[in-house]
Amino acid sequence: MKKSNFKKMLVLVLSFAMVLAFTACGGGGGGDEGGSGGSGDGKSITLFNSKSEIQEDFENLAKVYEEQTGVHVEVYYSQDTVSAHLATKYASKAPYTINMVDAKDIYSLGKQYGADMSDMAWVGDTDYAISVDDKVLGFPTCIECRGILYNEAAIKGALGEDFDPASIKTLDDFKAMCDKLVAAGMDAPTAILGPDWSLAAHYLQQVYEEREDPEAFVQSLYKGEADLMSDAKFNALMDTFDVLKEYNQFKTQGSNAEDELVHQAMSEGKDAFQFGGCWEWNDLLTYDYNGPVGIMPVPQNLEDDYTGKLVGGGAKYFYVDGSEYTSEADQEAGKAFLEWLASSDEGKTFVSDTCGMVSPFKSNTVPCTNDIGKVVKEYVDAGLLVPNYDYDPDDHYSKLGIEMKKYLDNACTREELAKAIQDYWASTTPVEH
Amino acid sequence: MKRNTLSYKVKQYLMFGGVGTALFCAVVIVPFIYGIYLTFTSWDGVSPNKPFVGIANYVAAFADHDYWLAMGRTVIYSVFSVVLINVLAFALAYLVTSGVKGQNFFRAGFFIPNLIGGIVLGYVWKFVFNRAFVAIGTAIAGHDVPSLLASPNGAMFCLILASVWQYAGYMMLIYVAGFMSVSDSLKEAAMIDGCTPSQAMRNVTIPLMRSSFVQCIFLSITRCFVVYDVNLSLTKGDPYGQSIMAAMHVYNTAFTYKNYGMGQAEALILFIVCAVIGITQVMVGKKGEVEA
Amino acid sequence: MTQNEKAAAAKKRNHAIMITVLILLFLFFIMPFILVLINVFKDKADIVTSPLALIGAHGFTLKNFPEAMAKMDFFNVFKNSLIITICSTILTILVSAMTSFVIVRNGKWKMCTAVFALMVASMVIPFQVLMVPLVSVYGGIFGILNSRITLIFMHVGFSVSMATFMFHGAIHTNIPLELEEAALIDGCTRWQTFWKIVFPLLKPTIATVAIIDAMAFWNDYLLPSLVLTDKAIYTIPIATQQFYGTYSTDIGLVMAALVLAMLPILILYLFLQKYIVAGVTSGAVKG
Repeated sequence: MKKSNFKKMLVLVLSFAMVLAFTACGGGGGGDEGGSGGSGDGKSITLFNSKSEIQEDFENLAKVYEEQTGVHVEVYYSQDTVSAHLATKYASKAPYTINMVDAKDIYSLGKQYGADMSDMAWVGDTDYAISVDDKVLGFPTCIECRGILYNEAAIKGALGEDFDPASIKTLDDFKAMCDKLVAAGMDAPTAILGPDWSLAAHYLQQVYEEREDPEAFVQSLYKGEADLMSDAKFNALMDTFDVLKEYNQFKTQGSNAEDELVHQAMSEGKDAFQFGGCWEWNDLLTYDYNGPVGIMPVPQNLEDDYTGKLVGGGAKYFYVDGSEYTSEADQEAGKAFLEWLASSDEGKTFVSDTCGMVSPFKSNTVPCTNDIGKVVKEYVDAGLLVPNYDYDPDDHYSKLGIEMKKYLDNACTREELAKAIQDYWASTTPVEH
Repeated sequence: MKRNTLSYKVKQYLMFGGVGTALFCAVVIVPFIYGIYLTFTSWDGVSPNKPFVGIANYVAAFADHDYWLAMGRTVIYSVFSVVLINVLAFALAYLVTSGVKGQNFFRAGFFIPNLIGGIVLGYVWKFVFNRAFVAIGTAIAGHDVPSLLASPNGAMFCLILASVWQYAGYMMLIYVAGFMSVSDSLKEAAMIDGCTPSQAMRNVTIPLMRSSFVQCIFLSITRCFVVYDVNLSLTKGDPYGQSIMAAMHVYNTAFTYKNYGMGQAEALILFIVCAVIGITQVMVGKKGEVEA
Repeated sequence: MTQNEKAAAAKKRNHAIMITVLILLFLFFIMPFILVLINVFKDKADIVTSPLALIGAHGFTLKNFPEAMAKMDFFNVFKNSLIITICSTILTILVSAMTSFVIVRNGKWKMCTAVFALMVASMVIPFQVLMVPLVSVYGGIFGILNSRITLIFMHVGFSVSMATFMFHGAIHTNIPLELEEAALIDGCTRWQTFWKIVFPLLKPTIATVAIIDAMAFWNDYLLPSLVLTDKAIYTIPIATQQFYGTYSTDIGLVMAALVLAMLPILILYLFLQKYIVAGVTSGAVKG
């Protein structure tokens, strides 16, 4: 009896599977062209977005675009590493029509696959487009800057007086301010984010960027000629880092401090200063935001041409796939979408208002809704930016991130850090660009 | 009917094993062979050109100090995890088949960790180690204490604990099936013959469950050797890259550092090491298997 | 106290110890799950501030569920996950049970040993190694990605080795050869023998493989994300990916999606329990 039951079950389950398989066949759309690439006729294109926080807004924008132009833009995101994800798209010969990548990827991916956008109207409207071999390949989505975030409300709450970021010119000023805050009852007024991208790609990176000729300096590092311990910029920035460490709210956890807690402390005003940038805005908003939060240059006891300037520039670049896998019509449709993103009212509102990003386009006068972005915009308009250096080797941030973490956790001395950085560069093959 | 001719055997094989073997070859073997070819190129993963470089990637892989460090770490991690997973899984399986009240309920509970995967698992454990343990430690010590995840040994301990927690319930399933398939009449017969329960366990049940042991140990070795998800979501290689396991190193080399050919070569070496250990274990284990 | 009473008391004590150990282990095992359940009713700020509190400062909220469901297009992705998981699991079981049967019963043939060794070895290949070659072949050359059928076949291809490995052990030790020979003498073909005698006897292993594979297919992210590119055929794990970010992860939504996705597997497990518990050979030999 038991056996026949089992047989009935088997027959039932099998027939169910068959039915499902047929449904799957019918509803699955089959294997059309085998990819997410466009339709080929320029009526339907794909876009890869690597900023997860604006994914939903981007999908909404795509709907607006379809209503206006009839061109369908499908917006994708992946939790896998961007380079790994795009590698699989190219391996299956079905790349996205428009791809959002970091600036340095434009010099590799964009150079190999990007379509030339030199004749597009938006090119004249921005100072941040990326060109390789006289071809414009990279479309900047926004401007991102790095510096010290400060929470005005927290400082005012502790000291009872308005905070003027312009009063902090040198490290000594900064330290005096921290001492004042401690005296007023704020135990630990600073915080440091622990991830390698923040410590190495954002903080350490300033050592290369804040000088006359970053390229020459990096070349001297490759050759093993640079001596960081006698370098004024390196020491000035590390002196500041030491002060940030001294007043660090998350001192015990060091590089293991959780990003969420660091962001929450800044958002709710539990501390006053944190090294970071304007992209953290969306994150700050998820807590009980008590601001405004602004951004100021990293204070250093070294007066030079870079004092009073933020480090940053264009970020999150789009390139249009110009390879054989994307039809001419789709390429044109992709370029048209970018043009629309830069010049239409909807596109401008999307960037500055909906997403709270700082627009890299001069014609965009829509006010930025991001408190940090507003401050960044002032620096941009006043021309007080130190440009990014975009030619780091791919393993730079993770390998030197490890060294910076050690320094943050007092697991190595400054001499050891300097030596580790020099050794890294000297043993690395120079990046061609 | 001639049962021993080659054509009869091939026909039999194709009838029963044809579909399975074909799918297996198509999905695993073909890409794997193509992957081996890629180890002889200096491909970056996306470029249309795949320059042939001979064995340069293997030379580089053997000289890659970080890779061998990661491999050493993986071995240590695997030894601890495999032993603990199997001891715990066997004990759990024994407890939940011994006829205690609510054993189905317990089985479901031990199985639950398998339903939480990837980033949530990492997030939950990270919270446990970084916040709950720290809060308890701080209360005991009277001052702030650093998290276990902040020291290399601590991070390793956390990884092992999370893995044991995740896989013990999974392996328990296989041991439970093993316990259930040893017929009660055999056990009863042994008891009638004068065996104590523990003797019956040692002399009847365990030998008959040999295939379960072989399977569980093999599965846990292979899972541990190629651990990636938990590694990524729980430690990301921190502190100071000292919890980077071999699979994570391979992934970084191939995709983050865009050195696809070399990453693939390192993965192949990892595969060979793991395959040798795993297959030896299975062959030794299978030899002593009791046939029904 | 008589001998019997002593034995009974000892048995009772053992039982109590066992129950205590079980309960402690049980708590350890479900603790993270409890944490998920507690936090799924809070907003992100509360999850970060006070993950242990039953109700956060912003109060009890159900908003994570509708928000996650809307963002994921829940019913559609649920249907896709269901179709893919059920078809892949059934196919894997049928195909692997047959393959392992022919391998075990032709154990002396070198070709079978070779196939088996190859399958066992393949189980240690990290998936990341295969992913780029896999899409190069099936996307680049054949162009058959972006279909649920392709994904089902790939799932089967990847899991056939482990399932065969498990059935191999079960057939080898637990299926008496005499039963099959008796059936053959009675005039059954090998094909009939397999389906009438061997397959039903494999029930506990079938249930184990079913639950393990169903769970793996249901939760798999990497392979589906490579194969399925059209949003209409996304599965649950791919649909939740937009909750994960580089700078921040919307953990409230992730947890809601997780709770929604977990239920079917738990139900399946409780259902299959019966077969795992049922036992096999005992019944067959006696019957």
